[in-house]
Amino acid sequence: MASPRVPARRPPTPRRLVIIVALVVSMMLTLFARLYYVQLLDPNKPVQTAHLLHDGAIVLPAPRGLILDATGRPLVANRIAHVVTVDRDLLQRRADKGRAVLHRLGALLHQPAQQLAAEITPCAPHVPAPCSTAEPYAPVVVAKRVPMSVVLAISEHREQFPGVSVNTVTLPTYPGGTLAAHVLGYTSQITAADQKQDPRLTDADTIGVTGLEQEYDAALRGVDGKQLVELNPQGYTVRFGRRIPPSQGDTLVTSIDARLQRLAQKSIVQQIHDSRQAGEPATSAAVVAMDPQTGRILAAASYPTYRPAQFIGGISNADYAKLMAPSANDPLLDRAIAGQYAPGSTFKLITSSSLVMHHEINTHTLYPCPGSVSIDGRVKTNYDSEVLGPITLRDALGYSCDTFFYVPAANEYYADQARIAHHKPPHEWLQKMAAQYGVGKRPGVDLPTAEQATGSYADRETRMARWKANRKIYCAEARRGYPDVKDAAERAYLTELASENCTDGWRYRAGDNADMSIGQGETTMSPLQLAVAYSALVNGGRIWEPKLGWAVVDGQGHVVKRIDPTVRNRVPVRQSLFDYITSALDFSRGWAVSGAFAYLDSPYQNRIGGKTGTAEVYGHKDTSWLATWGPTYKNKHGHTRAKLVLVGMVEQAGTGATAAGPMLKRIWDGIFGVGQKPVLPGQHAPRRLPHVDPQVQVTR
Amino acid sequence: MTLLARDPRAPFTLTPPIATRERSLRGYDLPLLGAALALSLIGAVLVWAATRDTQQAAGLNPQAYLYRHLINMVVAAGLMFGASRIDARLLRLFGPIVYLASLFGLLLVMVAGTTINGAHAWIRLGAGVEIQPAEFAKLGLVVGMAVLFTRHLGEREEDQSPTTREILAALGLIAVPFVLIMLQPDLGSAMVLGCAAFGVLVAAGVRARWTVGLLVAGALAAVLAVKAGVLQTYQLERLGSFIHPNHDPLGASYNINQAHIAIANGGLFGTGLFHGPQTNGGYVPEQQTDFVFSVAGEEFGLVGGALIIALFGFLCWRGLRIAREADAAGRLVAVGVVCWFAFQAFQNIGMNLGLTPVTGVPLPFVSYGGSSMFAQGLAIGLLEAVRRRSTAP
Repeated sequence: MASPRVPARRPPTPRRLVIIVALVVSMMLTLFARLYYVQLLDPNKPVQTAHLLHDGAIVLPAPRGLILDATGRPLVANRIAHVVTVDRDLLQRRADKGRAVLHRLGALLHQPAQQLAAEITPCAPHVPAPCSTAEPYAPVVVAKRVPMSVVLAISEHREQFPGVSVNTVTLPTYPGGTLAAHVLGYTSQITAADQKQDPRLTDADTIGVTGLEQEYDAALRGVDGKQLVELNPQGYTVRFGRRIPPSQGDTLVTSIDARLQRLAQKSIVQQIHDSRQAGEPATSAAVVAMDPQTGRILAAASYPTYRPAQFIGGISNADYAKLMAPSANDPLLDRAIAGQYAPGSTFKLITSSSLVMHHEINTHTLYPCPGSVSIDGRVKTNYDSEVLGPITLRDALGYSCDTFFYVPAANEYYADQARIAHHKPPHEWLQKMAAQYGVGKRPGVDLPTAEQATGSYADRETRMARWKANRKIYCAEARRGYPDVKDAAERAYLTELASENCTDGWRYRAGDNADMSIGQGETTMSPLQLAVAYSALVNGGRIWEPKLGWAVVDGQGHVVKRIDPTVRNRVPVRQSLFDYITSALDFSRGWAVSGAFAYLDSPYQNRIGGKTGTAEVYGHKDTSWLATWGPTYKNKHGHTRAKLVLVGMVEQAGTGATAAGPMLKRIWDGIFGVGQKPVLPGQHAPRRLPHVDPQVQVTR
Repeated sequence: MTLLARDPRAPFTLTPPIATRERSLRGYDLPLLGAALALSLIGAVLVWAATRDTQQAAGLNPQAYLYRHLINMVVAAGLMFGASRIDARLLRLFGPIVYLASLFGLLLVMVAGTTINGAHAWIRLGAGVEIQPAEFAKLGLVVGMAVLFTRHLGEREEDQSPTTREILAALGLIAVPFVLIMLQPDLGSAMVLGCAAFGVLVAAGVRARWTVGLLVAGALAAVLAVKAGVLQTYQLERLGSFIHPNHDPLGASYNINQAHIAIANGGLFGTGLFHGPQTNGGYVPEQQTDFVFSVAGEEFGLVGGALIIALFGFLCWRGLRIAREADAAGRLVAVGVVCWFAFQAFQNIGMNLGLTPVTGVPLPFVSYGGSSMFAQGLAIGLLEAVRRRSTAP
């Protein structure tokens, strides 16, 4: 019976199945053994490190240190500002990804919600700007310096603004507005280049980019704090960890006297106004006040100026464009320290020093002061071609006779040429004396080197070098003849100049030396350099490397660093000559001293002295200078000393006596308390460091 | 009770091969079904555990994968039942059809496939449904080979070794889908296919010189493939990371390391369902598919992992029992299916445990994925059909 439904032939148990069974069994056993090992035996079990909450840190930027004046008044202070931050984490976890919240916040801040959304999106290769450069888990600041109404709106309706918080930050504030803006400098947000230089800097930091803010940035910046956070693997903040509070930067005490500085700035503004009223362009001006005995700078004012506050949190493009506009006349330039101008007759201090010390003239002989002299066939005149007849150096300084100095300067030149003819090096005494007084060198003030003018003068060597470097340009310009210049006379002048430079530009002439003797030609100095030079006159010949900083004080009020000016050198001038010059230029001589004109009948007329300068600048009105010192006193050896040196400069404003004179007089009035409370008690610089209160830690 | 049905060489008939009275559970191997069901249900839980946190974090339904896995199970159960109702004696009829259909699917992938994880292996049917024809090719090849080797059974002794001609024909049958899958390229599926085919060859009584020779040839081909650059960069990276797990912790080795951490984390009893930090943290990529075993390892520990391995062992044992009882064709089908499941499970769990290279094959029944679940349902159905045939009165 072979019913097909009955398995007809049961196949013999196939031997081959045994192989399969063996394979299957061995595979299962292998798996089990491995599983057993991995889960129970393995002595080095791998551990998930990522699932442990990892640490992140939110930078708490340190408030920058304060900058104080010599009496402890704040020049740069800190203030609390409210910022609105958005926690993107929290918004993302909401059903609508926080759209509603951003919408409400946008309405409050008058910003489109889309813009807010873009600002809080972490930057990534495909995320367009604006985007957030902060750590992805850190709350993003969407509005700075928000008004109280916004703060209240957000705090009172917290339920409407989940993930939005109002924080306080410290921002610098400048109580004096433009006060000492140029020396203080400004700060800016950290750039990638800054971070490259110092990897400890974070995006939240600000950095001083000019002035004292830059020079003392390391001390002022402080140490950022950290809010440690624990993050889950998705990068959400789970827990706040330790908070390392930021420590504020150290305080910089400067020798700037805020009241004197303010007075100087006010006086400059007044003078600019007055000079313009008188029809002069009066484009810019500067004042430097320093203590000749200590080398400390009490005031350094420059016009036009700017408000450093504009740079807080990044200057707006509109503001920056305004600052950079030609009509603004470069308000960021510190004319007092970084600007250099022909010093005119104020340079005669240096010329007199050189001529007398090298016996080219003496202090008691009468020398001519004609209306004009001819040097190498060129006629050089006095100011207004004034003729004074034979006079001594005393009167030559007082009346500011130029021709008096031309002749010995030219003679010095001829003597040097004779030495050269005899293959001897020229003495160039005038140049050497100028260098001794600091002309041509950075003054060594505690500011970034780019903000310190060196001044300049001409000599044979530099002229030759410059001619070699530029001859081709001069000659090409002489050939072309300045076709772009419209004015025919100017075109002719420029072409002649270029032609002369092309052929004879290497030649240092007698006229050049004569020009230098009265601070003209290629001679330039910054107001600060002139103040340093006149300080030497009333301090026994010491050339200071002046300083603005006085001390760095830490948060506990301890002085961590004292900043003292150093004496760079002593000018090789006898004290008796200094006394001769100070007496020659003392304002008590009245009409006999040109600088005294503005000070006649002032109660302190016989306590100060000064030298005017009226520098001619080709194509411009004269630069008005006045270098003054006072109040004078005799030291124990009977030598004349002064407590202060004040130098003023007004560009394109006429003679020293008419512009710089009245400008400085208003400051001296304040110092001596004429019709007001004296700004400097005792008419001298503050002598003791002010007490600096321990900082109150700003918490947020 | 027709002559047609009796004669294995009988031509196709339209007579329904299934009689009404056979519509019962009689003849089914219930333990086999139970093992498959248990693995699938464990899979549902593991897939759920693997996906709920990441789904939730993404703001999606945390149960989405669970539901889809369950739906896949229902569909697979239907397919299984359908397959089990087929008269195993009609293998010869539908064997070539199944084989050719699977080849068609593989060719379709070449033309209209979608690339996922580096392999061009999916056909997108729309509405989120994607079919991976390679899964069905395994079934097609096993059935096709079984038909090939039993074609001429009536003409020779049953335990006679297949002729060289038959073996060459079988190698041809293997080669076509194997090459098509390698071209996708899907190394893992190709290896599983090869192993299932190898099992069929062994069970068919192919002589040792052939089987050993094939193994050696396969090994040589593999070496040549690596040397000649036939393998894709990502495949080599995966192989390399298997040998040096830490050579690239953020790249190719990442999966292995993370799965290893998860399993090692489990210990004896595991962290408990939904309490595996590694799983909840979403560290193991592809955890609901290729690395689903790591969920079991972490949350159910050695006990859970061993249970899954044991269930596979049990399933294979039941399959081999069916093979032993079955006629020649049924036996080859059963052995092929068992070898397929066994090797795929070994390959998958081994890769979770760092034993075998990462090649991207799912764990049968457990892993999330429609195509593999459906193909496996059909395979179990086929086993049941063989069993029902051999136990039929």
